Amino acid sequence: MKDKRMTMFNFVRGAAAILISLAVGTVFIFLTFALVGGKSFGDCFKSTGEALRYMLVGPLVKKSGSFNSMGMLQVLAAMIPITFTGLATCVMFSANQFNLAGEGSVMAGGFVAALVAIYLPMASGLHAVVCVLIAAIVCGLIMYIPAILKVKLGASEMVTSLMMNYVIMYVVLHFLNSAFADRSKGSTQTFPFLETAKIAEIIPNGSKLSWGFVVAMVFVVLTGLFMYRTRWGYSIRMIGINQSFAKYSGMKVGGTIILSQVLGGALSGMGGAIEMLGRFNTFLWKELPGYGWTGVTIAILAKNNPLMVPLAAFFLAYLNKGCSLMSTYCDVPSEMIDIIQAAIFLFFAAEQFLSGYRQKLVVKNTRADLLKTAEGRKA
Amino acid sequence: MENTNTNYVIQMKGITKVYPNGIAANQNVDFAVKEGEIHALMGENGAGKSTLMKMLFGLEQPTEGEILVRGEKVHLSSPTVAIAHGIGMVHQHFMLVPSLTVAENIVLGMAPTKGIFVDYKKAVEITETYAQKYNLHVDANAKVMDIPVGMKQKVEILKALVRGAKILILDEPTAVLTTQETTELFRELVHLKEQGYTIIFISHKLKEIKEITDRMTILRGGRSMGVYNTADTSEQDISRLMVGRDVILNVQKDQAQPTDIVLKVKDLEYTNEWNRKMLDKVSFAVRKGEILGIAGVEGNGQSELVQMLFNLNQPEGGTAEVNGKNILGVDQNKIRAMGVSLIPEDRMTYGIAATGTIEENVISDRSEKKQFNNGPLFNMKALHAESDRLVKEYQVLCKSAQQQVGMLSGGNIQKVVVAREFSSDPVLIIADQPTRGIDVGATEFIRKKLVELSRAGAAVLLVSADLNEVIELSDSLVVFYGGKISAYFEDTSAINDEIMGEYMLGLKHQSEEEIRRVCHEG
Amino acid sequence: MFGQLMSMILTEDFLFSIIRITAPILFAALGAVVAEKAGVTNIGLEGTMMISALLGMLTSYWTQSWVLGVLVAILVGVLLGLMMGFFYLKLKTDIILAGIAVNMLGSGGTIFLLYMFTGMRGNTGSLSSANILIPTLDIPLIKNIPVLRSILSGHSVLTYVAFLCVVLVWMLLYRTSLGLNIRAVGENPNAASSVGVSVNKIRYIAIGISGALAGMGGAFMSMYYSQGWNSGMVAGRGFIALAAQAMGRGEPVGAMLSSLLFGLAQALKNKVTGLTGLASYNYLVAGIPYLVTIIGLVIYAASTLRKVKRRKAIDKE
Repeated sequence: MKDKRMTMFNFVRGAAAILISLAVGTVFIFLTFALVGGKSFGDCFKSTGEALRYMLVGPLVKKSGSFNSMGMLQVLAAMIPITFTGLATCVMFSANQFNLAGEGSVMAGGFVAALVAIYLPMASGLHAVVCVLIAAIVCGLIMYIPAILKVKLGASEMVTSLMMNYVIMYVVLHFLNSAFADRSKGSTQTFPFLETAKIAEIIPNGSKLSWGFVVAMVFVVLTGLFMYRTRWGYSIRMIGINQSFAKYSGMKVGGTIILSQVLGGALSGMGGAIEMLGRFNTFLWKELPGYGWTGVTIAILAKNNPLMVPLAAFFLAYLNKGCSLMSTYCDVPSEMIDIIQAAIFLFFAAEQFLSGYRQKLVVKNTRADLLKTAEGRKA
Repeated sequence: MENTNTNYVIQMKGITKVYPNGIAANQNVDFAVKEGEIHALMGENGAGKSTLMKMLFGLEQPTEGEILVRGEKVHLSSPTVAIAHGIGMVHQHFMLVPSLTVAENIVLGMAPTKGIFVDYKKAVEITETYAQKYNLHVDANAKVMDIPVGMKQKVEILKALVRGAKILILDEPTAVLTTQETTELFRELVHLKEQGYTIIFISHKLKEIKEITDRMTILRGGRSMGVYNTADTSEQDISRLMVGRDVILNVQKDQAQPTDIVLKVKDLEYTNEWNRKMLDKVSFAVRKGEILGIAGVEGNGQSELVQMLFNLNQPEGGTAEVNGKNILGVDQNKIRAMGVSLIPEDRMTYGIAATGTIEENVISDRSEKKQFNNGPLFNMKALHAESDRLVKEYQVLCKSAQQQVGMLSGGNIQKVVVAREFSSDPVLIIADQPTRGIDVGATEFIRKKLVELSRAGAAVLLVSADLNEVIELSDSLVVFYGGKISAYFEDTSAINDEIMGEYMLGLKHQSEEEIRRVCHEG
Repeated sequence: MFGQLMSMILTEDFLFSIIRITAPILFAALGAVVAEKAGVTNIGLEGTMMISALLGMLTSYWTQSWVLGVLVAILVGVLLGLMMGFFYLKLKTDIILAGIAVNMLGSGGTIFLLYMFTGMRGNTGSLSSANILIPTLDIPLIKNIPVLRSILSGHSVLTYVAFLCVVLVWMLLYRTSLGLNIRAVGENPNAASSVGVSVNKIRYIAIGISGALAGMGGAFMSMYYSQGWNSGMVAGRGFIALAAQAMGRGEPVGAMLSSLLFGLAQALKNKVTGLTGLASYNYLVAGIPYLVTIIGLVIYAASTLRKVKRRKAIDKE
């Protein structure tokens, strides 16, 4: 009963965080209309309502009132890369490793997969798998760098990984612009991927919802199993809770810290590769794609539990789609998502948010327990 | 005689404190102090003394109850407010900033300024004036990290006085002091009392209480056991009130039949980061089937010894072997594979992962074992069976093994640690303060288990600051003083407290030959 | 090619550019120093710089006063710092996560804000004009000395302020009672609170100052360095500043020296980018400052580790 009450509390808390964040977003949308549109007060209200409709229910319901099936498929498609980066962040944060190079790994993974997809002809089906695997391995190796520096030298993985994002980006851009550029095109891009390497859509209707979605869901389960049903995942979580305890218990702390970051790299790299082969025909990212940071938000929302990642990823993908619809139809920049995301992030990660209420619950529970113990003694 | 002055400077009424993790540290406690007295607040570790005083100093807020200063109800929301009411506190762990000088530490938060800058000269002047006035001599310009412990304490007292404290709370002030420093401190305290200061003295050392205090309040298990005049109360009475038993524990144990040497430590040396020699050529041996106790005032090298033996710190010299194999600098999983178990002194730091479940905590040393794994996956059935078995066998009070460890009481947390450490078929158990701060039931349970295991053939090294415990449980015993073994008693049944005290406080020291017997070198 | 490179590097012009490039990093690094001294890791410097840069620039445009622009940038920095402080100190959000949130606001939120205020997307291109930028300053005595003149004189007002801030931050930390409190709070918060120094208050102040410094760095970027605001402008300088703080052992002067090192790397990059023979290595060279940061961190970490080991070895003898 006690635990039920706490679950309820956590639910209320999460909902409150989301509501506050949406309220903040609403204020900014209103201001946009007031400042840019120069509309009257009443019109601003009307436009804000309209914008909110697009943002909140647009992906689900068309203006005509019918089900927006295409919108929903696109939302699911958008979940693919951020599910992977979310999983990656869960694994790394579980070990208390603030590695933030998921961002760079996605780009590197996408690029490596693209190269394999262009230059290594292979049988259909196998090709895509090989592309993704190689990308995962390369990104795992990349993440080995901040991990080993942390373990051997005590260098902050956070700072190294942040710097690595930029190094990775520039290295990729260098090769994209030199050795692997398709000079026949107006913009900077590689040659097109071989057909064999592309990941097909589940329903070929242009929604970009590829089989990668299924792979992502499989990896949600696999990562969940890994974290909660294997000795390695167990060690990762124990190290995250209390590193001294893990060491004293005889766990291989250094190796496990490295493992967590290498896995994080591999998962992000995989996400980048699948996104690349499932959505595009040629590599054309010219900056970091942002999925790494979204992954951090997802991990926070999912409280580092891999099984909760799809839910968090869906929420963010939905919101993202809503923001882009709002941007298209109402002329409110889609970057609204960053403001809402930051607000959700802050409140979700805030331990003391509504803590007064929680403290009351704890006191109540302890009293009940004491009473029970006392009765037990009498009997 | 009852003091005629019945003006209470401090009254705490019906204080209850429940921490956010659900631990009820104080339950309906009344506490009152008269002007100009030295009042003892007594109780075992974990009795709730520190919590009560933290509330009086504004570091914690009571969940229920009220606090009155000079009869006036106050809300002590922070130390600042407490200080404003003339309350000062000298903490057990010094509240000093190591890289700042003595003078800077003393004026911290109220630094004299010249324009926008700190007037450092003035700070030194203030320090020296107060030091003179209260006879508390300190070196104003030295950095705190460079001065001895005794002086640090004086700095702490000066800090409170400079802030105008009239009521001083001293939290176990003698725990870290030498005998001489203690004598000096008492002289200073009496001096302060004569000048009209009120002193609250937290301790669990009976002799000191008898020597220096006027009245006392005794806490046990978070509740008050009453207020007494020191002069009218015998040490036995106090002890009974504090510990809650007339008879000191009497563990049933057969005569030990020690056989081969299991742990052999030779010439172990360690100097800590403040250049203090914590272990000075320590040598001893523990045999199969016996409990060797290590007694001593805390801080005489016992903690360091245990850290070395479990590779949580590196010694400068010496050897340590288990069944002939080196254990110094060896990974913990290998040490454990040799059959060594450790109940760590600080269970929250090393003993448990607080937000993990009981199950996750009891399997931490065996998660890689074949019996708990099916290929890459855990064998959840085997894990559940193991944790359920341990919870039952070690009587951990909980709903299920899937409950969070951090939510349990101290005693039950320790049972979880013990369940793990005792159930791995250890050949050597190192038990460092195994019953510190836990309830009577858990204490007795753990003690019984220790004896059981030793009689079943394990070698046990018991480190304990609890004199009763170490004498009653051990078959033979060494005393640590100043990083050295100062005495060895082959048979604990013949020991009395007074003799022990003399060795523990360094008044006496056995000869090298007598001590060397603990190495059992034939 | 190498000769060409060397001849370009060993110029007054090059040394001038190092100082110019170092300034914004130095501001942020000093911000990191102040926060870290109080025990707060301010990873939100990056976002703070972005937002301050934008609002400073806009204010400068609206009021046609660069002074007001800089002041607003500072104010915005302080407010963002206090916001992080509120979540970290009051609501107990992990400080790293609070910082990441500010960075989100910095990357996407700024684009939104820019549109909200001006209807422009992505950059302020058309807004900037000479009179709303931070002016440059000739130093009276130095401007008559041949070589020094072209290295040290003629920088923007804020460049001088950046280096002046090294001294100011040092004085703040080591000569004022606030500094005493900041150091105490960072080293032993319990000690500070036991004498009635409010740990939270000091941390609020420290992170506010940290934000102010980052705010100046932001103003420098949009109102002098890039002569306008664009979405990719800060490009990790806030993160580099964190590294500079770590490499500089958390001291103002150390942080300045580390910042100069990064300034050098960046200036080198700018030079090389302009070289005809190396043009195809543009992007690779652009990564150099970040790589240097990693290498610098590694060297610092390794040396700290070796020192610990050496001390242990000496003890053993």
